[in-house]
Amino acid sequence: MVSRVTHTTVQRSTLANLQLNLATAARLQQQMSSGRRISTASDDPAGASDLLRLRADQRNNAQYVRNAADGDAWLATVDDSLQATLLGLRQARDLAVRAGSGALNADAREALAAEVDARRDELLQQANTTYSGRHVFAGTSAGPAVTADTTTTPPTYTWNSTGAPVTRQVGPQATVQVDADGASVFGAGAGSAFAVLDALAASIRAGSNDMTSHIDAIDTRLSAALEHVASVGARHSQVLAAQDTLADRSVTLTQHVSGIEDVDLAEIILQVQAQEVAYQGALGAAAKVLQPSLLDFLR
Amino acid sequence: MSTFSGVGTALSSLIAQRQALDVSAQNIANANTVGYTRQRLNLTSIASQSVPSMFATTDGVGQGTRSAGTMRLGDVFLDAKVRVASGNAAFLAARAQAHAALETSVGEPAAPGLSGLLSDLWAGWADVANGSDRDAARAVLLERGNAVATGLHTLYADARTQWQQARTTTVALVDRVNTAATSVADLNEKILAIENSGGSAHELSDQRDLLVTELASLVGATSRVRENGQVDVLVGGNTLVTGDDASALAVSGATSFVQATAGEAVTVVWARLPDHPAGLDGGRVAGLLSVLAPAGDGGLLTGAAARYDAIATEIATQVNALHTTGVTPTGAAGGDFFTFTAGQPAALGLTVALTQAGQVAAGAPGQGEYDGSVAARIAQLGTAATGPDARWRGVVADLGVQTASATSRSKVAATMLASAESQQLSNASVDIDEETVNMLAYQRAYEGAARVLTAIDEMLDTLINRTGIVGR
Repeated sequence: MVSRVTHTTVQRSTLANLQLNLATAARLQQQMSSGRRISTASDDPAGASDLLRLRADQRNNAQYVRNAADGDAWLATVDDSLQATLLGLRQARDLAVRAGSGALNADAREALAAEVDARRDELLQQANTTYSGRHVFAGTSAGPAVTADTTTTPPTYTWNSTGAPVTRQVGPQATVQVDADGASVFGAGAGSAFAVLDALAASIRAGSNDMTSHIDAIDTRLSAALEHVASVGARHSQVLAAQDTLADRSVTLTQHVSGIEDVDLAEIILQVQAQEVAYQGALGAAAKVLQPSLLDFLR
Repeated sequence: MSTFSGVGTALSSLIAQRQALDVSAQNIANANTVGYTRQRLNLTSIASQSVPSMFATTDGVGQGTRSAGTMRLGDVFLDAKVRVASGNAAFLAARAQAHAALETSVGEPAAPGLSGLLSDLWAGWADVANGSDRDAARAVLLERGNAVATGLHTLYADARTQWQQARTTTVALVDRVNTAATSVADLNEKILAIENSGGSAHELSDQRDLLVTELASLVGATSRVRENGQVDVLVGGNTLVTGDDASALAVSGATSFVQATAGEAVTVVWARLPDHPAGLDGGRVAGLLSVLAPAGDGGLLTGAAARYDAIATEIATQVNALHTTGVTPTGAAGGDFFTFTAGQPAALGLTVALTQAGQVAAGAPGQGEYDGSVAARIAQLGTAATGPDARWRGVVADLGVQTASATSRSKVAATMLASAESQQLSNASVDIDEETVNMLAYQRAYEGAARVLTAIDEMLDTLINRTGIVGR
């Protein structure tokens, strides 16, 4: 149908167009000021769903970073303690060699034996190393990793561990053991490093010259501790590698989130400018169209 | 032919042009009146007085002009188009508004909503797994559990509040429908009376049309013009107004959100026959009813509440299933981490069952006091494909899709309504230029008629005063 055009229809359509322009300008302005393309789920339902998933991933990633930092600290503590243990065992082995190498008088033997006792105490201290209140060789158990019962002769040493490893999750599929089992590092029962050193001290005090069995026993502990140093080192490097991966992943996730959520500032500024021009044009047209009527041209 | 018949002809023109100018004045006065339909004076020529006979002196020329009444230049088809479009647009707008409001209350993804709280909860479990010897981590975890529960309470309460508001609005709108229907009936009566006595009731018709359009936008009403000029208004095929008699509608059904979630619908019924639903098929009230419907019938708010309940149940079930396998540092078996308040919907009744940090069961039995393996497994729920997070993302995405679709449908309907309205207006609205031209035409005709009168007067003057005075 041929439309009849009246002042009312012109006025209404002008108003509607101005509204439309202004609404677009407001939407662009909102996007520009918030910096976000998606402010409600309906703006882009698929994008919103991705966004929620990526934010959860970011949060998980941050948690993995915390876990890895914690694991790093545990493994560093274990490593330090293993190094000190190795040093103690080597010193004890030297003492054993010295005790077996020549005739020593009773005072010298007592001095050597006391030194061996000091090494044993040192090892006991290392076995009960703590990190942030947790005994790193006690696994998931509470309390000291090893307790010495000195009422018996020789003293007996009891491990307080269930054998359950302490683990940290450092990635979606990566779990790392961050402790070392004290019983297998230091040995248990008569073969434990402490019992071996007690036996060594007793032998030295008793004046025995044959230290071979003691040296062998210390060597056994040394090689066991060395194995653990290697294993802890390997796991430590795994955690460090995981930290690198997590840092990379954090950057990637931020990029993805930004790709979905953030506005392209250059584009939005251009759009806002274009919109402004359109709005001013609409205003100008309204001013021109709405003003004149036939009455202006009649006397 | 009478000597003075020309004077009569000129007089009829003077009167007619003045009447036409009055109509123009009325049009211009109401140029900006909402609902006003332009009018035009119909002029018709008066035929010559009698059939020529032998001694008749008539010359067969007509006797001037007269008004054949004012015409209201409305178009019932364009009006009907506007009504259908406005019923449809109001229906979709009500749905779109409800969707947008619900989406705002969910707040995702702009604001940190439930997804953020859930992420915090899983991070809390991971911290407990790391620091299973520290009560602080456990205390933080309990608070985060409470935060998730509170988040769900808020979501559910928002949906409930929105439902109550929508119902209150429905009642108010139905009241408005009843008032408008009564007004239409009154106007029908008045208009018939005025037209029977030969008057013109165009202005009242304008008011009636406005009310009928309002009824269309409220309850999707349609109208039917009777032979006597009265308008019947129909809702869902039944008459709301017949002649000067109006029926009333009433709101019936569920009065509380509890009833609605239990499956009871809110309906609009006839006040005289409370068992008969009005069967609305358009309009804002119908849109609100579809929002208020039970979940089984696709109700938006009850559906949202059902989803919140499902999420709450999912969270409690999955966390409890793992937590009950764990033991506390003192070796006690872990009970339920989350529990539900009896007699409440799941989303509203979800609470943390534990009251003390020491009750958190983070370790597996027989694995040492500081074992955190169970807590670590619970922390993994956040990334599980069937975990609560994945479900919640589904809910948000679904709501987003529905809202986007409701909004775009509403926009299309609004565009159609705007087009229908502009067609109606382009036909019915007053054009000042046109009225100015009409005024010019009537003014000139009036001047012409006056000049005719002067000419006849001078002619008669010649005949009466100057006849027979030859040589004087």
